Amino acid sequence: MCQAAGANAGAGFCHLAGLINTAGRVVAGNDALKKILIVDDEEDMVWSLRQNINNERLQVEIFTAASGEEALKVLSSNHIDLVLTDIRMPGMSGLDLLLEVKNRFPYTMVIIMTAFPSNEFKKEALLRGSLHFIEKPFDIKELRDLIRHALREENVFKGTVAGVGLSDVIQINGLSRATSLLRVKQGEHLGIIYFQEGQVVHAICDELDGEEAFFRIMQFKGGRLDSMSYTDLPIRTINAPVEALIIEAARRMDEAGLDDVASGPVCADVDLEDGVEYKESAPVHVGGNNGSGSAMVDRVGTESAEREDEMSSLKDVLSEFTNIPGVNTACLVGRDGFLLDSIAIAGIDTEMIGAIASSGFGASESMGKQLGKGAMSMSMIEYGNGPVMLSPVGDDAFLVIVADKDANLGMIRLKIKKHAGQIAETAAI
Amino acid sequence: MSEGKILDIAHISFLDMIKVMIAMSGAASAKGTLIRNAISTAEKIKEVDYPTFEEFLAAIENSTNPITQVEGKSSHQGGFVFGLTHCPFGPSIKNYTGVFEKLPDGYADFTEEFNKPSKVTEIYRVGEGAGVSPFCSVHQPMRSAIAEKIRIGGKKIKIYQLGCKAGSGKKGFADRWLAETGISREVVDKTLDNHMCCYYLQIVE
Repeated sequence: MCQAAGANAGAGFCHLAGLINTAGRVVAGNDALKKILIVDDEEDMVWSLRQNINNERLQVEIFTAASGEEALKVLSSNHIDLVLTDIRMPGMSGLDLLLEVKNRFPYTMVIIMTAFPSNEFKKEALLRGSLHFIEKPFDIKELRDLIRHALREENVFKGTVAGVGLSDVIQINGLSRATSLLRVKQGEHLGIIYFQEGQVVHAICDELDGEEAFFRIMQFKGGRLDSMSYTDLPIRTINAPVEALIIEAARRMDEAGLDDVASGPVCADVDLEDGVEYKESAPVHVGGNNGSGSAMVDRVGTESAEREDEMSSLKDVLSEFTNIPGVNTACLVGRDGFLLDSIAIAGIDTEMIGAIASSGFGASESMGKQLGKGAMSMSMIEYGNGPVMLSPVGDDAFLVIVADKDANLGMIRLKIKKHAGQIAETAAI
Repeated sequence: MSEGKILDIAHISFLDMIKVMIAMSGAASAKGTLIRNAISTAEKIKEVDYPTFEEFLAAIENSTNPITQVEGKSSHQGGFVFGLTHCPFGPSIKNYTGVFEKLPDGYADFTEEFNKPSKVTEIYRVGEGAGVSPFCSVHQPMRSAIAEKIRIGGKKIKIYQLGCKAGSGKKGFADRWLAETGISREVVDKTLDNHMCCYYLQIVE
């Protein structure tokens, strides 16, 4: 049973179909106001919140429910912007409610109230889609700030953006120095990537934390992605730069997906919704083979498959790199620093770059040997205006790729892996 | 350091610098750096045109030939094959090994690197087995680069490095350049019996 605010002082209250203003009076419902649903079996808590949430800076329409089941009924008949729910309730728990809300009302945000905070609980709630936590007892001002913060997130563009990969989104967050989290869902798998001023600082995925969780998320093939803000970073587990993480993820994807790429690419539709969303899609089979490689790997695979026959000269192969947006120079250099071939923008002395790069390449390799790190696969130097990547080709040469700071590093990395053998063959090195 | 031996600091600095370059950035990069430096030095040489081959030889004899000014006197063995009696790096090597007994670590790798086929050794027709020490990677390209500044009767000349001999007496032969010039290995072997370096001069028609 649902009741209006002033009439639900007893047990069995359901929701307030009106606004309680700063004077504590119930006013008529207003479509322009944001709607909040408070879910808690503790009547005193609900009453207190109902009386105190609204003030001069925050005016919302408040609904209430004493259980998860009642909350779902309210949600079914009202467009609720934000659910504020306790965790421990008879019947459906707050976590179960959260899951239902995210499944049935994906645009509704959720704040969890709990008197029993723990990292494990927070992790589970985050994986189920909760935006924020607040620990009981809390200051009402703190709650108002949290609600205002959450409701501001409603004032964002919603829609669908095609052709965007997860690594693109991560790089966008990096460039925009975002402090936010990405919640990624693929089938039964859930992952969250935390950003702090553009840097990836934490990730959780299934039973994993840190970089391993990040790399597992990056291996998701399609899925749903929600971008949201957070107020409390649980722990910092990742310190590596975004670019290095993406490169390493690409390398792992490439290693893990080589067979898939070879057997046919998947075209992953990528949608952006409520922040960002990826949609899983059926694979597109090329050449009669099945495949399930990642979107990034597959784009490379498809392009290169189409062009492979055409690439008869070093210039053709090098153009594979300079065709990547943001890559302006690609040089093939002997390990002794003598230039073998290049495509470069005007103003770059590629002979000199080759000579200098050979010292950098050699130094990176020497350091790897000194540290017992094995064979070098890539060295990247980051400058203010973008990175320079060095990668061995065959035994006697290496590639120098000069990129702008917004270039897709994962794509470059994959193309290097894809074409290194062919370059070595074409250059007879 | 052995007692009573005199160390030329210029020698040790140069030889140990090569060792540091090898350790810091690898033999290939070190080789490239030395070769580029050698070529850069050669580019400072003023161009000269000898009216005849005989006048070119005379310039060697009176030490006005640019090649001779860098490496010392060589002697014409006939058929445009030349032998250089003394290695220009001989004194440095002798001084270093006289004090420290052996050359720095990494020199063998460096020499092997120089002998590998590469763009620069192809351009200057050096290496390919003719390198017997890291110093060959400086000396041989420099001589070839200097030769680009010399004309005989208005015609360009090219130098092919055919072989070289280490201080230990071990000889190295550039089979590729032997094949291209048509000079027999026996001729080079015989030249190296009493010379440290052997090369072929081609007058480009």
